[in-house]
Amino acid sequence: MMAIPYHLLEVCGSIIFAARGSDIHSFTSTFEHISTWEYPVKQREASCAPSPAAQESPAPEEPPAKRRKVQDGQESTSKGQVNGPKATQEKVVNERPFIQGLYVTTDGHHLVAITGSDKTIWVFEHDGAGNLKQLSQRTMPKRPCALALTADNRTILSADKFGDVYALPLIPSNSPSTSPLPPQNFNRSRSSLTPTPSPGPAAALKPQANELTVHTKRNLIALENQKKSLSRKSAEQQSQSSGATPSFEHALLLGHVSMLTAICVATLTTTTTTTSSSISLSNDGQQQPQQQPETRTPTTAKEYILTADRDEHIRVSRGMPQSHVIEGFCLGHDEFVSRLCVAPGGRERVLISGGGDDDLFVWDWPAGRLLCRAGLAGHVKDAMVLVPSGGDGDGGDGNGNGDGQGAGGKQVKVAVTKLLASRWTGCETVVFVACERVPAIFCYNLLDDNTLRHRETVGLPGNPLDVELLGAGRLLVAVDSVTSGEGSSAASSLMVLDQQQAGSEGEAGWRHTPVVPTNESAGGAADINLSTEELQKILYTTESLRKMTDSD
Amino acid sequence: MGGAKNKRQKREDYRAAMREEGVTELPRKKFYRQRAHANPFSDHQLVYPPSPDQMDWSSLYPDYVVEEAKDNEMAGLDATPERAPMTTKPKRLSKEVEVADIGCGFGGLLVGLAPTMPDTLILGLEIRVSVTEFVEDRIKALRAKHHEAKLYRNVGVLRANTMKFLPNFFRKGQLTKIFICFPDPHFKARKHKQRIVSTTLNSEYAYVMRPGGIVYTITDVPDLHEWMVQHFEAHPSFERISEGEQEADPCVEIMRTETEESKKVERHKGQKLVALFRRLEDPAW
Repeated sequence: MMAIPYHLLEVCGSIIFAARGSDIHSFTSTFEHISTWEYPVKQREASCAPSPAAQESPAPEEPPAKRRKVQDGQESTSKGQVNGPKATQEKVVNERPFIQGLYVTTDGHHLVAITGSDKTIWVFEHDGAGNLKQLSQRTMPKRPCALALTADNRTILSADKFGDVYALPLIPSNSPSTSPLPPQNFNRSRSSLTPTPSPGPAAALKPQANELTVHTKRNLIALENQKKSLSRKSAEQQSQSSGATPSFEHALLLGHVSMLTAICVATLTTTTTTTSSSISLSNDGQQQPQQQPETRTPTTAKEYILTADRDEHIRVSRGMPQSHVIEGFCLGHDEFVSRLCVAPGGRERVLISGGGDDDLFVWDWPAGRLLCRAGLAGHVKDAMVLVPSGGDGDGGDGNGNGDGQGAGGKQVKVAVTKLLASRWTGCETVVFVACERVPAIFCYNLLDDNTLRHRETVGLPGNPLDVELLGAGRLLVAVDSVTSGEGSSAASSLMVLDQQQAGSEGEAGWRHTPVVPTNESAGGAADINLSTEELQKILYTTESLRKMTDSD
Repeated sequence: MGGAKNKRQKREDYRAAMREEGVTELPRKKFYRQRAHANPFSDHQLVYPPSPDQMDWSSLYPDYVVEEAKDNEMAGLDATPERAPMTTKPKRLSKEVEVADIGCGFGGLLVGLAPTMPDTLILGLEIRVSVTEFVEDRIKALRAKHHEAKLYRNVGVLRANTMKFLPNFFRKGQLTKIFICFPDPHFKARKHKQRIVSTTLNSEYAYVMRPGGIVYTITDVPDLHEWMVQHFEAHPSFERISEGEQEADPCVEIMRTETEESKKVERHKGQKLVALFRRLEDPAW
């Protein structure tokens, strides 16, 4: 039995949501336990039988995938033993899919969660006091990697493993699922719903090659066979006319041919009176309305969707009715991009990105211009030196990278797992950065000239899994003390960091306060049949985005 | 497998000889054959610039290189306290690539187009290594052969996965024409997302094209033709060009007759389905 640490945090006013395994807990600001949402176990059993939820995800009209990677334990169970012992092992891992994303709407009324291996997006109503009521559960065609909410909190943008971004209403419309969008809605109307690329089942019923396009004898025979099997299939298909697309309302907005890693919605405020779209803030980040000559009475806010992928791209697309228009790219990363963060405090043009590169990047994203690169690898290296053992577990995903990783290795590989920017008292903008398997948080200042300056490194007793802000100078960190080698002190995986001013108690620094939530004693649900290695595989996924360049 | 090895050896010898000798002879295809399909989702071992600004075109179009002393355009990159800027600007060309043949194969279209638009830079993009090498050798030989006329100086070829990296090579609105000739049909429904035309990829084509630019498509597979028409027509950034205008475009004839695949289709008496699409102006935002 393995205790799972909290691995995802979300702060909503005075309420703290923390995900642990496949459950979501809520706490008050003093860590009194309020409620727990548990992943419905019935779900798992139901999915073995052809339940409606299970039918939504795999496209039934498509032929079964050849040698699909059996990461989705549930699929492998429903399809029977595919890979022998390995498949059964994986099944245990994903018995209860881990929560892989947690998002609160800006109004605090809803919480959205992703569970990874079953590709499901969950929406909860939040009563403002920490109680959750499950509203919907939607299984996406592909595994969602990251979500964002539009500024009006009405639409979820889901960025998936296959590079597509889907829009789905936060609250599904009341029309029952019996009236889905037609699978082949090539609506020529220039509406917000860009058509999905699926040609619909009808097209699949006749072979796409013909006697004129196929020339060799073998291919002609293959074509003949294909025709036969298709005609057989068509009979079956007509009886069950469910399409490939999920039955709920959703629209394909845009897509990369690469795994998406991050998505965020950014808003540019433009004045409609001026010819040039001038941003309502001067460059130094301070509002100086008097000094700007133009009267900016009618300002309009335009939304943009920023998406990052494993192939080093950051794409800027227009927001929702025109998400098919790509405005530009922020190009310059040499490795995967894993996190995006728009600067707070009215500096809406400034984007910070991080990934597998040694540096953090700062962009003027509307112009696609690189403003600055700030070193991170050096600080990571310094932080790793402080670690006594260097971390025992380079486990699953680290190997194959060849050159030294972890203990003793001179080469430090950086994989950014968290970027969090906040405007503190005064006009100081602080950016907190966490990297995979590095037991520290790196604090930077985003200066007025849009450069990032390293301010300090806060050491931690274990690897940070998530970081959230509780207030100015107060951070909540989910620490993996379980698998990052801190022995048995598994009880508290949450920690509050308070910034201390120089003078009060000697030097400036951060006070660490481990917190033990009040439900901890009864927390049986947090234990799971996982080995340390398996748990690490689920918790540490970012470094595996790196491309293997040294092989053949 | 002695035979196979023998063949490979011959191939290598031939290609080495091609590269060494001052070639005027056109390369022979049989030494450059490669499996017709490539997985566009895999990482391969691709070389591509981080951004179009850092693309060095000088080796592809040496006749168009501008000799300049110094360029200060990028000097705006401030040295950060952490790290100095690292950009070394590549040599610049007097022109930019404006025509791209995506999946150029053995380069028939490039060779056909080059003399008809001598003042336009044309680039072929191909994902298969040895096929790309063939086109490289072919261009080299053609340039040597037509040395006096200075022909074929305006064509180049690159190995690239355009489905992933098109915006790494081309800036917004850089291209006036994109050719998609006899693309891999990916018959199986499971493979449809590997098709070179899709709703989401069309947004990228729209991005690299200037308004008024034209996408040319040709295929001998009726379903693929239908698919491409459906997807381009459904995309708000494109409209289909009328048949009259299509037939008046000289590029269409070249596309129909000069590509290797079109000749093969001709031999088998197959059909050639053409569709052209115009890049529309983006609406206000």
